[in-house]
Amino acid sequence: MNVMITGAAGGLGRALANECGRRGYNMFLTDINEEGLLCIKRGLERQYDVVVAAAACDLTNPESVDKMLDVIDKYGIRFDMLLNIAGLDFEGGFIERDREKLVKIVSLNNAATLRITHAILKRRRPGKPFTIVFVSSLASMFPMPLKATYAASKRFLLDFAVSLRQELKRENVNILTLCPGGMVTTRETLCSIKAQGFWGNVTTNPLESVARNTIDRALSGKCIYVPGILNRVLSFLGKIIPRSWIAAVIYWRWNNAQSKWLNNH
Amino acid sequence: MKTIVITGASSGIGLETACTLTKKGFNVLGVARSEANCSRAEEKILSENPDANITFFLADLMQQREVHRVAEEINKYLNERCDGELYALINNAGCVRSWYMTTEEGYEQQFALNHLASFLLTYKLMPALIKAHGRVIMTGSESHKGIKVHWDNVKLFRRYNPLTAYKQSKLCNILFAKGLNDRYAAAGIRAYVVDPGLVNTDIGNKETGSLVNLIWSIRKRYGVSPEIPARTFAFLCEQEIPPEGLYYCLCKEKNYSRQVTSENADRLFELSERLCDIHYGRVQMI
Ligand SMILES: NC(=O)c1ccc[n+]([C@@H]2O[C@H](COP(=O)([O-])OP(=O)(O)OC[C@H]3O[C@@H](n4cnc5c(N)ncnc54)[C@H](OP(=O)(O)O)[C@@H]3O)[C@@H](O)[C@H]2O)c1
Repeated sequence: MNVMITGAAGGLGRALANECGRRGYNMFLTDINEEGLLCIKRGLERQYDVVVAAAACDLTNPESVDKMLDVIDKYGIRFDMLLNIAGLDFEGGFIERDREKLVKIVSLNNAATLRITHAILKRRRPGKPFTIVFVSSLASMFPMPLKATYAASKRFLLDFAVSLRQELKRENVNILTLCPGGMVTTRETLCSIKAQGFWGNVTTNPLESVARNTIDRALSGKCIYVPGILNRVLSFLGKIIPRSWIAAVIYWRWNNAQSKWLNNH
Repeated sequence: MKTIVITGASSGIGLETACTLTKKGFNVLGVARSEANCSRAEEKILSENPDANITFFLADLMQQREVHRVAEEINKYLNERCDGELYALINNAGCVRSWYMTTEEGYEQQFALNHLASFLLTYKLMPALIKAHGRVIMTGSESHKGIKVHWDNVKLFRRYNPLTAYKQSKLCNILFAKGLNDRYAAAGIRAYVVDPGLVNTDIGNKETGSLVNLIWSIRKRYGVSPEIPARTFAFLCEQEIPPEGLYYCLCKEKNYSRQVTSENADRLFELSERLCDIHYGRVQMI
């Protein structure tokens, strides 16, 4: 099994890479953070008997992606699975944010994800089942004031993935969309979850089991994975309550959490 | 003057131990991750003893490349000012987590900091320790009892229980000390583990979730002052003839878990060497 993982040096990327290592899959890792990428590659090689290749790449830059694809083509690597983990998030009000940073959210979470997905689909192992995982978010289920761009970019991924899944069924491709709540991957995510207080805590998903279940569900042909019962209830409510009401409630909640967070810093 | 390296010397037990040892006339090199906490610690040590010999080195010991870097800085310092001799290394930096969090290498954080960082730093400083017939002391804990090392799943990736991960890392401390004695006693090195008891520090309030935070805030009130364990570290450093025991509390030897065998220590060495990509080697270098 050959797996391509983007965003492999981040918290969720590392957890999924570990999970793949445990299962004995060979991996091609990429991330914009070259130093972190080499560290996780080393860590995986020391723990598991698998082949790990890595190339740093800025997925938002087509030339950088082409360079990486050249390496892949030089060795004639063919893939069985693609884990699209790379993504980013800036929080805060739309007009207060830096313009280019906002655009970057969409260019990485959406444009770059399309670019790499297209490229790796073309390089899938012929005649074999292929699996793709997109990382959306619980945020994709609701309109999210103060996280508007991020939540919408995650909504894009969710809708895109579900449609593409239908399109590619005949090609023996399955696509799973992961919609997690918070996950404690770094000190920063920990701070922001703490700032959300009770709701932050109860919507938080344990990273290690999310990683394991994601691969299990992707392989067994599932479509959407919302980890945690409470998160499933919330995503259901997101479907039945009028969207403008949800927006009002979420605005109120995030405004509180963010001012608390800012006061602590 | 004898030089001692203490990791995690910026707060809690490590800071108090650094204070005590500078007062006894040792040259102390502290290692910790936060610049602000290090300068606050340095201020405190100097305010209690203006003649203290204290130098801080910054490093996030959870990341292996940082351990390598700081070890090189320390070795350079030792070669320039201490004839390349290190009299004692106190591996004390430690953490508690509520969630499965990983280091850059993808290793579980409590295992990485509480055990692997000590394993790697000791290896890097071993030539200087051998030169001084030095001592290696780990801050262990009574919680190392009643548990085995999960050899097939050391990172506890399946069903992560943060408390089990902590206890296991503390069992690793004492297995590491045992393995060091097996390998280096003939070269004049002695390794020990100190059980500090329950100590009033903030360890459970750093990077943990609300529940662990709350429990620790209540629990630590029953803890002793860090000065108490600091005495045991000082005791182990001050004895002219190195004490024979392995596990100490309140300056006295104490019983340890039956899991602490040479066989398990060898197994831990093999695993940790692989995870750090180093080889202690059974031969003594002299
Ligand atoms: N307190 C107890 O009751 C108790 C009981 C048994 C064993 N222990 C053990 O005693 C040791 C010291 O704990 P403590 O209670 O004194 O806790 P503490 O006050 O939190 O001290 C831990 C020290 O380690 C440093 N540190 C943390 N993460 C680090 C990293 N990634 N890189 C470098 N340094 C880092 C801390 O720096 P900062 O100042 O920046 O946080 C601090 O100086 C630990 O090994 C612990 O397992 C404690």
